[in-house]
Amino acid sequence: MDAQYKVIDPVKFYRDHLAHKIRPDGRGLLKFRPAVINVDSIGTADGSAIVKIGNTTVVCGVKLELGVPKPEESNIGWLVPNVTLPPLCSPRFHPGPPSDEAQVASNMLAEILSNASVLDLRALCVVPERLAWAVYLDAVCLNHDGSILDACVVAAVAALRTVRLPRVEHDADKDITKVFPDERSSLPITGAPIPTTHAIFEDEVILVDPTSDEESLASGLVTITVQNDQMCSVYKPGGSPLADENMQACLSRARTRAIQMNNLIEAALAARDKEETKDQKLIS
Amino acid sequence: MSPLSPGLRLDGRRPNELRKIRCKLGVFNQPDGSAYLEQGNTKVLAAVYGPHEIRGSRTKALHDQALINCQYSMATFSTGERKRRPRGDRKSIEMSIHLRQALQAVIKTELYARSQIDIFVEVLQADGGNYCTCVNAATLALIDAGIPITEYMVACTASLANGETPLVDISHLEETSGGPNLTVAAMPMSGQIVLLEMSQRFHLDHLDKVMKHALRGCQEIKAVLDKAVRDHVASAGAACNWEFKTD
Repeated sequence: MDAQYKVIDPVKFYRDHLAHKIRPDGRGLLKFRPAVINVDSIGTADGSAIVKIGNTTVVCGVKLELGVPKPEESNIGWLVPNVTLPPLCSPRFHPGPPSDEAQVASNMLAEILSNASVLDLRALCVVPERLAWAVYLDAVCLNHDGSILDACVVAAVAALRTVRLPRVEHDADKDITKVFPDERSSLPITGAPIPTTHAIFEDEVILVDPTSDEESLASGLVTITVQNDQMCSVYKPGGSPLADENMQACLSRARTRAIQMNNLIEAALAARDKEETKDQKLIS
Repeated sequence: MSPLSPGLRLDGRRPNELRKIRCKLGVFNQPDGSAYLEQGNTKVLAAVYGPHEIRGSRTKALHDQALINCQYSMATFSTGERKRRPRGDRKSIEMSIHLRQALQAVIKTELYARSQIDIFVEVLQADGGNYCTCVNAATLALIDAGIPITEYMVACTASLANGETPLVDISHLEETSGGPNLTVAAMPMSGQIVLLEMSQRFHLDHLDKVMKHALRGCQEIKAVLDKAVRDHVASAGAACNWEFKTD
């Protein structure tokens, strides 16, 4: 009965729930979904993280490749982020070239990572003018249930933290490059931007961490990215106008969320380190 | 390099031993049916959408059966070398077609005329036996979606080491070491073979032996998948207070 009502008149279905200050999944209007992070689960990737925010699941894998830097940017490497929204993640997406949503998400991810100075590209340079690392960051959404940008950025940051660069020796005279896969060092990650998405429903009600259904009914969306307690990026693609005091409230919620997410990332990395030392003890 | 010294394979398995299988049904809420399957280090996710109305041109609709659409995709970070084209290259299209051919044999398409069933498979980590893991994951996802199938569709690989010992469920290293690879997709209960593919070569006298090993591998995999399905149904049913009788 409930499911039929939702299909026939979804707006009224939502309005009736919001009148009682509750959402169909049982959350309050300003309640976040539980988040889970798991790192280093993909063995073939040079770094990986899986993030689940409610039902939204994103897996981010990092692959490293060596390349020759451009002459005008001879002492920096490359960070190439990409977001894929395959047809398996939602009935909205069909096989074919990347959808608009995927392209926007890829662009947003690249902008957020560069605005927040997450990785100094000079650290990726092995030999100036000759050799530099290209870090390919691929975020694949496995289940799209709203707040995709939140999950992608957190997964990207967590995956970058797990990357270990192998030591490279380059003989300039003979032009021979030797890679030592067993001698690795971490990437110098200097930022942890955490986005938080809000949805505006019927120009008045603000919902935090919307699901896919809520995003499709929303009259506006706003994503605020916070790093080190400061706002580092705001994404509000049109939609309902948002008053200043509401924007301030969203920002303060985003700051609280950023602290929680950062603690979660640290906990996931600590758990991985504990597993590694345990394995090393078993081997030795 | 012989993979059989001393009597064990590179990863410590015996010749007729399968890799460890871990699977979970109903992992995601957006698809109608979903399943996650791990065979050793090969990790695959399958999602099923359907049956629903035909997308795109209505002319593709079949008047008496459902249209099956499969897409095989490998994540860029799933292989040792970064995969530049996750889908759309020749190998992926070939895999998608083989997947569709195998699954079409078990799905009761005559029940859903003029409809479409989409099966999407994403390989998160590839360590040999990608096609087999995809078929097995797709079977689980179809069961989770509630689409009627006549039987489990299970696939398994087999090889021949040193020209005499059959190996079952080969890993990526064993695949690329030069030995023959036999891939079988079969219906384990009725014993019918739906898809058979082989690369490299070995003497015809050995074919029977290798095929028997592959088919027995299929039976063993089916037992594991069946238990997973029953556990999943039992736990879902327990939540709704069903009575679960075991015969």
